Amino acid sequence: MKNYPFWKSFTVVTLVLLGIIFAIPSIIYDEDSENWFLKNKINLGLDLQGGSYLLLEVQLDVLYKEELDNFVDSVRLISRDQAVKIEKIDIQENEVVVFFGNKEKIKDIKNSFFQMYRGVTLQINNNKLSIKLNDEYRKIIQDSAIKQSLEIVRKRIDESGTKEPLIQRSGKKRILLQLPGVKDPERIKDLLGKTAKLTFHIVDNENTSALQNNLAPFGKIIVPDMYDENTKYLLDKRAVVGGENLVDAKGSFDQTEGHAVSFRFDTEGAQKFGKVTTNNIGKNLAVVLDGVVITAPRISSAITGGSGIITGNFNAQEASDLAVLLRAGALPAPLEIVEERSVGAGLGADSIAAGQIAAIIGMVLVCIFMILIYGTFGALANVSLIVNLFIIISLLGTIGATLTLPGIAGIVLTIGMAVDANVLIFERIKEESFKQTKVFQIVKNGFDRAMSTILDANITTLIAAVLLFAFGSGPIRGFSITLSLGVMASMFTALMLTNFLVYMYLSFANKKELKL
Amino acid sequence: MFGLNKIIPVEPNINFLGLRRNFLIFSILAILISISLLSIKGLNLGIDFKGGTLIEVSTKNTSIGELREILSSSYSDVSLQEFGNENIILIRLQNKSNQESIETVNSVKNLIQDKVLEFRRSEFVGPTISSELLFRGFQAVSFALIAILIYIWLRFEWQFGFGAVVALTHDVLFTLGLLSILNVEFSLATIAAILTIAGYSINDTVVIFDRVRENLRKYKKLELVDLFNLSVNNTLSRTIMTSLTTLLALVSLFIFGGEVIRPFALTMIIGVIIGTYSSVFIAVPTLLIFKFRPQDEDD
Repeated sequence: MKNYPFWKSFTVVTLVLLGIIFAIPSIIYDEDSENWFLKNKINLGLDLQGGSYLLLEVQLDVLYKEELDNFVDSVRLISRDQAVKIEKIDIQENEVVVFFGNKEKIKDIKNSFFQMYRGVTLQINNNKLSIKLNDEYRKIIQDSAIKQSLEIVRKRIDESGTKEPLIQRSGKKRILLQLPGVKDPERIKDLLGKTAKLTFHIVDNENTSALQNNLAPFGKIIVPDMYDENTKYLLDKRAVVGGENLVDAKGSFDQTEGHAVSFRFDTEGAQKFGKVTTNNIGKNLAVVLDGVVITAPRISSAITGGSGIITGNFNAQEASDLAVLLRAGALPAPLEIVEERSVGAGLGADSIAAGQIAAIIGMVLVCIFMILIYGTFGALANVSLIVNLFIIISLLGTIGATLTLPGIAGIVLTIGMAVDANVLIFERIKEESFKQTKVFQIVKNGFDRAMSTILDANITTLIAAVLLFAFGSGPIRGFSITLSLGVMASMFTALMLTNFLVYMYLSFANKKELKL
Repeated sequence: MFGLNKIIPVEPNINFLGLRRNFLIFSILAILISISLLSIKGLNLGIDFKGGTLIEVSTKNTSIGELREILSSSYSDVSLQEFGNENIILIRLQNKSNQESIETVNSVKNLIQDKVLEFRRSEFVGPTISSELLFRGFQAVSFALIAILIYIWLRFEWQFGFGAVVALTHDVLFTLGLLSILNVEFSLATIAAILTIAGYSINDTVVIFDRVRENLRKYKKLELVDLFNLSVNNTLSRTIMTSLTTLLALVSLFIFGGEVIRPFALTMIIGVIIGTYSSVFIAVPTLLIFKFRPQDEDD
């Protein structure tokens, strides 16, 4: 071979071989392979393997509102101690304004309040005290809520039996879930849609006028029944014990009560529960879940063992799901599903099959066309094209990228665009062949002249692909990845591999003239 | 060695620039029509940008009419559409709030449970997300255009950058106009297609500009119109070849790639044709506005 340096052919051949070898795991597709090498294959996106993508938003407003409610309760307590009458309380979006009957002790109230809550801005204006949530305070609430929510979501998803879920924070107040292979997304959404805040409250059966007027006195709340909105209970606002003291919960079946959830408290919970049930024999104890009363049985005897059952009109699935929720714990704030994309395994398999057919047919058409137009040189370009495809596949597998349906589209598109670099080179060679007769000089000039054009042209496509990656989401990123890899691989195959093949061909065929 | 490329004239000599006025009028008309279509009729926004719910089902022993009857008794804003073949049906619903939508999916599934073989796909995009996606889409397209321009500006003289902007804007508007006429669904994948078209069109333009620049150095005395014509002719077979191979791959994707990817493939096909056209008939003639050489000022 004339003028063809050994290091260059060595590099080309090595890279091509590596490209083909590393594509093998992704092509022969062996599930659960133990061999480290075969594990290095392409990850399929949810749109190809089936599964659910969910984006959840933590309802922080609920938390801010809760905190403002706490402020109100504290101010009431303080002013009761100070014997100051409160005329009016105004709860706004981000602040509470309290109007006092007189302004003498307002400073003391302010100071006592500030002892309890540091992250607030307090302002006195005549007989008016305004309490405002600081931004930092809000941020602390936000961060801890997201952190806690992530943990609870993870527990719930684990309990649901989903394999290899991806759960991560997304932006300020969102949680992103990717759940491969989920067959019943509705059940997952049900599990995530409940806050699952469980509390036990003593029922106040004496104050009947409060329920009639639908107005809870200080320290009490009115809560509707789970199954009948019109049945209401007046409960002590303070919970005697809550779900945070549970150590276990499971679905159970009781001959008389049907499906139920049996639970066990930790030591602290058992003590509290025992004390309350001892002191309140004869009263009713309401079990409240997410703002509704599931059941409110009468306390017939002290329960000191620290365990019990919750009955309701459950079926088996509901009882076991409730148990899952109680085991995982309560979410600090409700989660709202703001985006869902679920794909069944059937559609995923169809998409893969369709993508493969499109890629193969596209490939065959382009190859035939190249041979028709450029003859032997076209065939050499086709070798580059096929190697190009192998390189894309092996790069996808090695960097652990995810192949999506748009990603397959990107590969098919690359098949069409990858020959561009070869075409540019061949057209230059053709032009050069009119100017001179030395075969190797023609080829060398052709490659050299085409080089800068190829770089310019491909860099613009790469710019578009990179920005698509930066701003795109999920499946679209898959497209930008395959497109960028394809463009880069095509530069390598055209400038190095085609170059190598052309030199090889010309030396072995011993061509004395070149007419392309 | 054989090859059909010997049939193509070795030195094509077509007077592209001579036709520039006709094509300019054609393009201006096309852009005006596109703009008015976009402002009057608008684009067929998919759920990515409009929000809403989409459920794809494969059915058994039922017809689209029957399903429509079942669902329209409960939902006034439901729309059904066959997707690829008559056993696969797309159900679309517009919902108001996030919570409502999740419940809707559940109840739709329950209503048609016994008519359905498989729930192939269900997608829901809430109102906040859809507006965010639209914003990010615009951001991506604008940043890509700016970045490409900066690159062209660095690599060529600024006049070429101007020609490229004109051609790119032309391509994007023209493509959007055709998408509006053809009522192709506009989704996240369409944004990806538009960006790729931008990349492709600029790629095509850059190859010709490269040759213009080379010829400007080589033929110092040649009239600009002739020089541009020569450059377009020099690169003509490459322009045609690359467009054809890209179109071959895209047509294959359009026909065999499945229903979901079809709007993407169609958008790309339209864009590649327009992009190729604009490189020759819009980008290059735009360069005529500028005087590239001192002696041209005497003309």
